[in-house]
Amino acid sequence: MRKEYPLTAAQNMHYQWIREYKTQQVSGVSIVASLKAPLDFGLLKKCIQLEIQRYGCMRLRFTKPDEKGEIRQYLIKHDARDIPLKDMSGMSLAEADDVMQNWAYQTLDGDNRPMCEVVMVKLPEGFNGFFVHMDHRLIDSCGLVVMVNDLMSLYTHYRFGAEYPADLADFESVLTNDLQKANNEKRFAKDKKFWDDQLDALGEPLYSDIQGPSVLEEARKKHKNPKLRAADIERKQLFVAVKDYILEPEPTKGLIDFCMNHQLSMTNLLLLGIRTYLSKVNNGQEDITIENFISRRSTHDEWTSGGSRTIMFPCRTVITPDTEFLAAAYEIQNVQNRIYMHSNYDPALIREEMKKRYGTPEDTTYESCYLTYQPMPVHVDNPFLQNIEMHSKWFANGAATKKMYLTVSHTPEGGMNFSYHYQTACLTEKDMELLYYYMMRILFTGISRPDIKIGELMEIV
Amino acid sequence: MNRAAEFKKIVAQYCSVAAKEMKDEMRFREDLGFSSLDFMSFLGELEDTFDVELEQESAVQVRTIGDALQMLEELAA
Repeated sequence: MRKEYPLTAAQNMHYQWIREYKTQQVSGVSIVASLKAPLDFGLLKKCIQLEIQRYGCMRLRFTKPDEKGEIRQYLIKHDARDIPLKDMSGMSLAEADDVMQNWAYQTLDGDNRPMCEVVMVKLPEGFNGFFVHMDHRLIDSCGLVVMVNDLMSLYTHYRFGAEYPADLADFESVLTNDLQKANNEKRFAKDKKFWDDQLDALGEPLYSDIQGPSVLEEARKKHKNPKLRAADIERKQLFVAVKDYILEPEPTKGLIDFCMNHQLSMTNLLLLGIRTYLSKVNNGQEDITIENFISRRSTHDEWTSGGSRTIMFPCRTVITPDTEFLAAAYEIQNVQNRIYMHSNYDPALIREEMKKRYGTPEDTTYESCYLTYQPMPVHVDNPFLQNIEMHSKWFANGAATKKMYLTVSHTPEGGMNFSYHYQTACLTEKDMELLYYYMMRILFTGISRPDIKIGELMEIV
Repeated sequence: MNRAAEFKKIVAQYCSVAAKEMKDEMRFREDLGFSSLDFMSFLGELEDTFDVELEQESAVQVRTIGDALQMLEELAA
């Protein structure tokens, strides 16, 4: 008899989005990894099949929803599926990317079925590799990078005699451990107290929009409540566009050095940049909440077990205009550190508590911005492939559950990529351009004058 | 397993230094490569494993393995 497990909080976050937005598309994650080199596709197929065996999360399936709509997960022992090969070498790279982008929009519908698809690809300009499309309940972006590296290590082992890659942590053991932690009553009570204390101290959060206070005003009119502090969520038109901005290596170094010299993490500096912008465009609003994704991968086993460990928590700070830039950064860091300690908690319970306390209307939110900072570079970290050019790309799933979702990652050249995913129903590329422009002005003015007051900073940028 | 050994076994799960090679003066961030998330998750795990209540303000000031062990000994005493 197979063992079935409930979903973890991180998996449930994605499952609830699928239910609320009525499409699995919101839970898709896709990547292509390719090398400018001839590949032995027979061997690559063998390695992909071996990877599916090694990386348990790729064999994860979900049961049919029960009468309450709840599902459970289980692993199948073997998945000896064929791995197709798609030849796109006759296209341009942009055309091939378009084909893969369309694959990324596809949904993995139904239950008791594989939630992961792998296609070997022959791309233009001599690039060869594989495309992976998975459900986020199986894996997050860190997990995908680990998988790509492990797969390439298998390939270089069989092709060039490189050392066989070390075993990956057992997905099922780590899952069991996570579920046990979630059921630890003392831990649960401490985590709940932390989040409840924040609401006790600060009261109901206040929405702040990238486009300024008009969005909250609209929601107040719609709900006929002039004191409403939450704004509506777009539920129908989920199409998301992506706008990337590259920050060059030299200014990136400036941000990194500032973080190192002041023992700040980059996440907290970025949060300060976004929250200062939100405050600026919302008439100096001091109480700002941004949803920040946390990877929750710290131990060796957590790093290599795959699975969906990334989860988002509201980072709420009340920062007055007379606070200095550096002090504000430390304030955010202090809040984030506390959140890290309580990140085993299910964030759905925080929203439930707010709804209970403040009667937050259905389909409204206190946050307009979501941040993920990915310190982990998306490249194949393999000495046998070091001098080979690579083409790798994340593909948006095309359906946003969030109004604006910023992913910040590092480029191979030493710069940073600011990737803005925004719902086209509400936002335009111009909004993203303004956000990026002001974020940079705020960050670089702040790091050059760490004692500048936030109020003055908002005025001069 | 005594408390110090169990403590080092937990630390070893978060870094690439084996428990038997750990020294009291080793710093979590600089020497063992802990990120803020790692360190705070680790503190939570200490609480759960040793059934102690850490004072967060002072716990975040802990820099070395020796400091952390001493804090743990005091709390468990």
